[in-house]
Amino acid sequence: MDKKEEGTVEEPLDLIRLSLDERIFVKMRQDRELKGKLHAYDQHLNMILSDVEETMKVVQIDSDTGEEFIGTEKRNIKMLFVRGDGVILISPPLRTS
Amino acid sequence: MSFGSSSLGDEVDKKLIVVLRDGKKFIGTMRTFDQFANIVLQDTIERVYVGDCYSDKSLGVFFIRGDNVVILGEIDPDKEVQEKRLQKVSWDEIQKLYELEKQKKEEEEQLKRKIMTDSGLTIDSILNIDEF
Amino acid sequence: MLFFSFYKTLVGKEITVELKNDLSITGLLQSVDQFLNIKLKDIKVNEEEKYPYMISVQNCFIRGSVVRYVHLPAGDVDVETLQDHSRLEAREQKKVQQQAQQQAQQAQQK
Repeated sequence: MDKKEEGTVEEPLDLIRLSLDERIFVKMRQDRELKGKLHAYDQHLNMILSDVEETMKVVQIDSDTGEEFIGTEKRNIKMLFVRGDGVILISPPLRTS
Repeated sequence: MSFGSSSLGDEVDKKLIVVLRDGKKFIGTMRTFDQFANIVLQDTIERVYVGDCYSDKSLGVFFIRGDNVVILGEIDPDKEVQEKRLQKVSWDEIQKLYELEKQKKEEEEQLKRKIMTDSGLTIDSILNIDEF
Repeated sequence: MLFFSFYKTLVGKEITVELKNDLSITGLLQSVDQFLNIKLKDIKVNEEEKYPYMISVQNCFIRGSVVRYVHLPAGDVDVETLQDHSRLEAREQKKVQQQAQQQAQQAQQK
């Protein structure tokens, strides 16, 4: 196998390829963020992630003071397909080599 | 190019509810479709729902551009009966109810937007249909 | 084509499709096409009371472009195969790109 093809980042999508089987961070539209292990992707940035934690920004109301504030809502999803058109950015795991 | 939405073949001549991106709902008999999910509906009615009320308006034959389609739902006659628990009101009445609901939603949305921007966050509005 | 092929292996399985307007529908995957339009059978809508228009619907067609997420049955997903296919497809994609570039260069020289 061509080493150059496998190991270096020549174009943006190479970065995603090198993140396969790693936990990545994905920022999505509508103030959603995902963390999960990447198992598949295509050129549209459709993806399949496992053990996903989704964080959503929501406006909540303090039940005592009646004041609104921004809170986060979290949920966990075992296996998730993410449609690429909602993706804003993808960040690979930090490597301490 | 192979035939994209070929799976819609089963739905031809069936009664469908079509939900569009702007939230409008049309009910009619689908006569034809193509690979973009463009469809032609016959005997179309527009149905507006607000809370437990709904109202219909007859509109005739419709061509609907596929881009705008969210869902095509096959209307099941057995399940349609369940819908009878909803109350049918006049078209004028539903328009009034709809306007009220819309205003309420917009106010909520504005409040949310204000809080978000005050905290230095940008918000993707759910009312902004281009996002969808 | 990777995801199209993948979804075909899930036909008959239960999935939950979450749309960009927050509507969430669970049902059996009946079919899928190359735009990732999805047909579901025997559907159940989460928070049904918020979506009265879905009451009388049992089977539906969802346009691929309005999908935000699809919750998949983890046990039916072979992650090893997916990763291999992703690498393969990336390589194929690059080849196609390089060929197109070469052709464009040759056309310019003529």
